[in-house]
Amino acid sequence: MTENINHKDASEMEEVLRNFVIENFLPSAGLDAFKNDDSFMEKGIIDSTGILELLEFIEETFSIRVEDKEVIPDNLDSLNKLKSFIKRKTGHAG
Amino acid sequence: MKFRKDILKIDCKKEEERICGFIRKQQLFMKREGAVVGLSGGIDSAVCAELCVKALGKENVFGLILPERESSPKSKKYSLKHGLKMGIKTEVIDISPVLESIGTYERRDKVIREIFPEYDEQCRLKITLPPDLLSRDAFNFFTLTVDDRRGGIKSVRLKKEMLNGIVAATNTKQRTRMVHLYYYAEKMNYFVCGTTDKSELMQGFFVKYGDGGVDIEPIGHLYKSQVYRLAEYLSVIEEIIQRTPSPDTFSFDVSDEEFYFRMPYDKLDMLLYAWENGVSHGDVCEVMGLDEEQMKRAFMDFAAKHKATEHLRKLPPFL
Repeated sequence: MTENINHKDASEMEEVLRNFVIENFLPSAGLDAFKNDDSFMEKGIIDSTGILELLEFIEETFSIRVEDKEVIPDNLDSLNKLKSFIKRKTGHAG
Repeated sequence: MKFRKDILKIDCKKEEERICGFIRKQQLFMKREGAVVGLSGGIDSAVCAELCVKALGKENVFGLILPERESSPKSKKYSLKHGLKMGIKTEVIDISPVLESIGTYERRDKVIREIFPEYDEQCRLKITLPPDLLSRDAFNFFTLTVDDRRGGIKSVRLKKEMLNGIVAATNTKQRTRMVHLYYYAEKMNYFVCGTTDKSELMQGFFVKYGDGGVDIEPIGHLYKSQVYRLAEYLSVIEEIIQRTPSPDTFSFDVSDEEFYFRMPYDKLDMLLYAWENGVSHGDVCEVMGLDEEQMKRAFMDFAAKHKATEHLRKLPPFL
């Protein structure tokens, strides 16, 4: 079970998200690294199965419910977008 | 060639001759005496069967109709009518008992009952992607919809494990059909004629070793809208031409557009052509009346699906 890190700070959120992406998606995308603003779709980091894994991970890890209408690139298509989205959902100021 | 609205227009007579030459050449290469075509009551299999008849003669084409308990009744009805029109031998085999024996329905329903415990055999189900990619952006996630036929329709976004469980069970339908097609093909010394078109092949809309398990793909170079033109030229029966393309895999009606492509075939095919041939963005937007965002969204979706399904189009790799 993944530890709930809802209460932890922004830098830890970034680290958790980054590690998840590195461990689960980078090898199959043939990449060694990615930048915070890189588009997951354009870089081929996350496919349609990957997005389901990502959704499950952030819902469980940050105790949030992502509505279907929120499953859009503006919210999920880069590390920075993910961070902003999760902050909005959890009520974090930053 | 300049990108224009009629870019996918084909000379049907020449195309028929070209494909028939291809079919005959492959038949000779494989040393087979005829073709087995799985008739689904859809446009692709109807056109393929017509082309095989033109290439090999009606006496050398066998149409196998393989419904199961969740197939639309129209699939069998239209297939039989079209088989009769072509004058070919056909046989109907209900594959439901085979699917029951290998647990297709039971395994799938077990997954669905984890989500909807009240799900029973009276319910209808379908799986869809978010609609209308050109109008609104959304990642590809699958939604399971269950209709209890008592006025209640429920939907839920599928998690990976559940989606995989449903897909794995459902794909046994196409794979069971493949087993039947090859039984008859080998028994009669025929080849199995595939029925996948280019729009489907490019985007991975087929089941590996299911409807993708065939000997030749005579319409694999034609977009779906070109297959329609050929269907009219070959006088495929009107019911099939007018029918909405569907995987016909789920008990609740779902179109190819809802299930996978997220846009109608006429737009899909033009955009696929533009994407494949590197047409300038300006030309695409001008000819199709789209804005840059819509076009980019479509191209991104094509690239993602093409990449994710690349392994389906390849033979097993070896060292």
